[in-house]
Amino acid sequence: MKYDHDVIVIGGGPSGSTFARYAAGAGMDVLVIDKRKEIGVPVRCGEGLGAREVLAQGLELPKRCISTEIYGARVVAPNGKEIVWKDKQTTGWVLERKMFDKWLCELAVDKGAKVHTYTRATELVREDGKITGVKLSHGGREPYEVRAPLVVSAEGMESFMARAAGFRTVHALYDVDTCYQYEMKPYDHQNLIELYFGNKLAPRGYVWIFPKSDRKANVGIGIGGNHVNGKKGANGLDGADPKALLESFIASHPQLKDSSTLIDFGGVISVGAPMDEFVKDSFMVIGTAAKQVDPIHGGGMAIAMETAALAAKVAIDAHKKKDFSRNSLLPYESEWKGTLGKKMAKRLLLRKVIEKLDDDDLNHIFGAITQQDLNDTMDGKFAGPVAKVVAGRPQLLKVLGALVPGARTL
Amino acid sequence: MITIEHAGCIYCVGCSSVCPVNAIEAVGTRMKHYPERCIDCGLCAKVCPANVITLHKGVKDRSQLKGAGK
Repeated sequence: MKYDHDVIVIGGGPSGSTFARYAAGAGMDVLVIDKRKEIGVPVRCGEGLGAREVLAQGLELPKRCISTEIYGARVVAPNGKEIVWKDKQTTGWVLERKMFDKWLCELAVDKGAKVHTYTRATELVREDGKITGVKLSHGGREPYEVRAPLVVSAEGMESFMARAAGFRTVHALYDVDTCYQYEMKPYDHQNLIELYFGNKLAPRGYVWIFPKSDRKANVGIGIGGNHVNGKKGANGLDGADPKALLESFIASHPQLKDSSTLIDFGGVISVGAPMDEFVKDSFMVIGTAAKQVDPIHGGGMAIAMETAALAAKVAIDAHKKKDFSRNSLLPYESEWKGTLGKKMAKRLLLRKVIEKLDDDDLNHIFGAITQQDLNDTMDGKFAGPVAKVVAGRPQLLKVLGALVPGARTL
Repeated sequence: MITIEHAGCIYCVGCSSVCPVNAIEAVGTRMKHYPERCIDCGLCAKVCPANVITLHKGVKDRSQLKGAGK
């Protein structure tokens, strides 16, 4: 069979570009398509990224991709009590996301990948039931067929081709957060990530302030998709209205209430479990398209980059064996589930526990724990922090006990 | 069916990520709705962060709407 490429990657975000960089670097003929006119635009993201992930792939971020460096965090309870920590070294960055996405994509081009923008996959091409390529349309023009023995969906939230391939990509309202964010100026910050919790402030979520360069900040909110706090549309359907809550936060914030907005962004984030399967014959799903997103903070970039590296390694092996069957691609899925999947399952459990807490519980927890406890919790070490919290508020054992195996029987 | 006020749409594709029947899709830089597939579940309207989607329960055709949406 004659193929045009070894692999077609749908989507030029962090996962697609990273996959393409590795695959092309190993000599595969890679085509990346992105439906947007410009890689990285529009931005729909808080733009925070940990330093660990980038360094792990041996990358050095160019200055243009970095808005500002982060030196710690400030987490605020409903009653205003805060936990603050500062590090001497950079713990991460707030990016200029559109520069970052474009840079990652250019790295793939440097390795020999071919990228086409404003090009949409309209349907999968199948022969004898087997996926052998995709139909592409450039700028809405007549679709044409491009053939490859492997198709990779890195489509993000709107994973239409993954859906067409038979994956369960649809999200339940309970498993998404709906978000709204402004880039605002002026905001004088201390290069800390700021997070504000409270069930009135942000039901099943939080308000964030991510510092940016030149006295700017991304000020955003994410709330549970199944939450009801506003009337939607002309007929008054009940639904989640993150924008209204964000505006009331800003109105009561001493600095931000007088600041300007420079950008409106919004989005819906997957905060549930990943998909059950990531591969089929001749098809892989990576990144947000596979719902591989951190259920606590809704961040997808770091997981996407790590996943893409793993998926590419398996795809390169499959290419050498000339075998793109499900079995041949399966190591990606099983290895993911044994590593990243385990971390993500702990975070999902934590999310489901946190959403059961009321503001009094949250206030108590913030009073009882330290910065180190918070770090342990984020690393999945729950036992110590839970013991501290439960000591002063035993009734919380019922909820928090879920985090510590065996705790219920104490 | 639903209508979308395109002027206020921030093109986040949240609506299509929750649509169980593929009735909304990003085409170019615009969300496109397919009324013939729509089952009036309203999930897209509930989740829309920009609040630009209106559900018209039982309406099957744009011509039945009087000036609502575009």
